[in-house]
Amino acid sequence: MTEKVKVRIDGEVISATAGQTILEVARANNKYIPALCYMEGLTSVGACRLCMVEVSGVAKLVPACTTPVQEGQAVATTSPQLDSYRKIALELLFAERNHVCAVCVSSGHCELQTLAQEHGVTHVRYPYSCPRLPVDTTHPRYVLDHNRCVLCGRCVRTCAEIEGAHVWDVAGRGITSHLVSELQRPWGEATSCTSCGKCVQACPTGAMAEKGWGVEEMTKHRTVVSRLTSMREGS
Amino acid sequence: MTNALATALPRVDDQDLIDRIIGEQDGRPGALLSILEKLQDANRHKYLPMETLEYVALRTGIPQSRVYAVASFYALFNLEPQGTHTVAICRGTACHTRGSRDLLERVKLQLGLSASEGADKTSLTTPDRRFTIRTVACFGQCALAPVAELDHAIRGHVSEQALIREVEQLRKDAGR
Repeated sequence: MTEKVKVRIDGEVISATAGQTILEVARANNKYIPALCYMEGLTSVGACRLCMVEVSGVAKLVPACTTPVQEGQAVATTSPQLDSYRKIALELLFAERNHVCAVCVSSGHCELQTLAQEHGVTHVRYPYSCPRLPVDTTHPRYVLDHNRCVLCGRCVRTCAEIEGAHVWDVAGRGITSHLVSELQRPWGEATSCTSCGKCVQACPTGAMAEKGWGVEEMTKHRTVVSRLTSMREGS
Repeated sequence: MTNALATALPRVDDQDLIDRIIGEQDGRPGALLSILEKLQDANRHKYLPMETLEYVALRTGIPQSRVYAVASFYALFNLEPQGTHTVAICRGTACHTRGSRDLLERVKLQLGLSASEGADKTSLTTPDRRFTIRTVACFGQCALAPVAELDHAIRGHVSEQALIREVEQLRKDAGR
């Protein structure tokens, strides 16, 4: 599995290990590909579609987080088409739920907000669906605000793969998909929850936050999950 | 989005049934779908109560959230008790253009369900549990649009009058 392959990312020839994904190789070589559902240390699911890249000879765009590198592959991480698609994906995320940055605990420390700023999302071209969604405040230390959730599934994978509790999953389908703890129980009543808080740290937006913080005050330690995985692999 | 907290385990004979059905699957990958399907079939009201889901999770070792995610994803699985009779109205494009929304509203009215009720749901059951109305994305019978399904029998070119008549017939049969 230590076979070396040579790929070209944005024109630069890079040596990589077979089996690595395009996103891993790009990030290791300081090439920026935006991503929301990807998190180092978790399995990739290719859900957010922000890491789409162009691979020469492939007609479709491919998600960088789930596509392994191949010998001789030439990848483009930016292009007018990619920029436009990423912008659409971001706008649709904003239109789907109630992302009101002005009153959000994570404003200023939010991955969705940062991505929108980077991609010049100044307005949303699609009608907001403004769903009526609950806020789960039943947990003594943490709060889950469905209005801010982008269904990236990072909390689900963190809890299942790192903590091993699998409290979270995504229930329903389509526009009614939503995060559930256990059998749709309030978070505070979920007996399998260890209150470790790693899901909160993994959440890219203000959907999961610690209680007691005001607007713009919730900062997260996003490297916790990645560091845990690499430490475990190292032992 | 909150359900009543499932605290009690299923009745003992139900537990035996669940244990047997899980045993038949013997850890096969994807067994959860077959287990849930068989359990729903065996249920008198053709649904999966929360206690059943909790017990399945307990016995298979599959996390509760995963069991719930699977059960809530598939339209096949019901999480609420179903009526004795099922009326399914197709809401696909072809049926929509031939007036399936009016059919749906008309049947809801006939069965005393308000039009606004469950606008975002795919199935609605009358309080007396005699009828369940559900919407279907497509039966694949677009040439027969609008299509309705009454107790698993497909009817094509359904008019409001015909549908009302048939539902009334079912209601009478059920009353006997």
